[in-house]
Amino acid sequence: MTLLTEETEVFSAADGSRCCVIFLAKRQPGLSGEALRQTWSTIETVLQRFAGEGWQLSISNMVDPAIPDVPTAYETGAGHDVDIAGVFEAPSISAAVAGTVALEAAGWDRLFATEWLIGPREFAPVKSTDATLTRDWGFLALWEWNDAWSAATPEERREYDLECDVAFAFDVASGVNIAGRHRLDLASRWHHLGFWEAQSFEVVDAAMREHERVADFKFTTSRHYLGRRRPLAELIGASHG
Amino acid sequence: MADYIWINYSRPRPHWYEESQESRDALEAKWSEIAAASREKGGEPLGRYHIRGQSDFKSVEIWRFGSAEEAFDHWTRLTGAAFGQWFAFSNNIGLRENAG
Repeated sequence: MTLLTEETEVFSAADGSRCCVIFLAKRQPGLSGEALRQTWSTIETVLQRFAGEGWQLSISNMVDPAIPDVPTAYETGAGHDVDIAGVFEAPSISAAVAGTVALEAAGWDRLFATEWLIGPREFAPVKSTDATLTRDWGFLALWEWNDAWSAATPEERREYDLECDVAFAFDVASGVNIAGRHRLDLASRWHHLGFWEAQSFEVVDAAMREHERVADFKFTTSRHYLGRRRPLAELIGASHG
Repeated sequence: MADYIWINYSRPRPHWYEESQESRDALEAKWSEIAAASREKGGEPLGRYHIRGQSDFKSVEIWRFGSAEEAFDHWTRLTGAAFGQWFAFSNNIGLRENAG
């Protein structure tokens, strides 16, 4: 994997060429009853095929493959202009592109208007040491190195990476699991995805205060999504039934 | 069959305008070599167009590739040569309708 920037104390390079598939989706009205059930059944069949082809459909399974891989999304409508958000991981970039086409064709497009973002995994997952926590919140950070970072010297960037690593160590010590880091620059305006599962809204809020304290955002421009975890089957049934 | 389209929108970052013409020429020569290598590997450039009047960006460049991995290979060689540090960008990739 070609790294966009160097490894850090918290993050190490990942092997292979796996690729995230992010969905930022707004609900579409129209389907109900038997038509809705049939559509979900078709989508579920596609997701089961993906699982057989090496996809991962939840961050919990990305961080700990021993945890059952239940297709998962996050309810984001309370705070964002999209109703659900989530991240799958495909075995390759081409599989990721073809996967978005297959899901739309299976009827996803009747349920949601979706922005799909894809990008190869760059850093391996970082797992918090506390295995007892229930992490019902998902946090997606899309970010780009901004003009200030681009104009900075290599030394300034190294110092900045060290400062940010303090915040990432704080995140993991707070109980957050981090799905690693994926490049998004092949097919979007964003450079990276950061994807977390956390035990509460307050933990993510405290983490962002720490990232602000170490001046993370002087060199990055970012967009964040925070949502409550729900199995995709339950979420689609609940939202469209 | 080149089933993948890859679209690159770009605009110079502020410090590009402060850079000497000599330095800019050297960077652009390096990026041109990368494009030539991508053509050798089977990528098909469809051209670069000026869009400043109708876009957040200055240029759009479009390529066809045989796979998403080939598009990524092209892009990682460009970013490895600092393209993204001199130009802000927004990219997209698409699979041909009715492919496969």
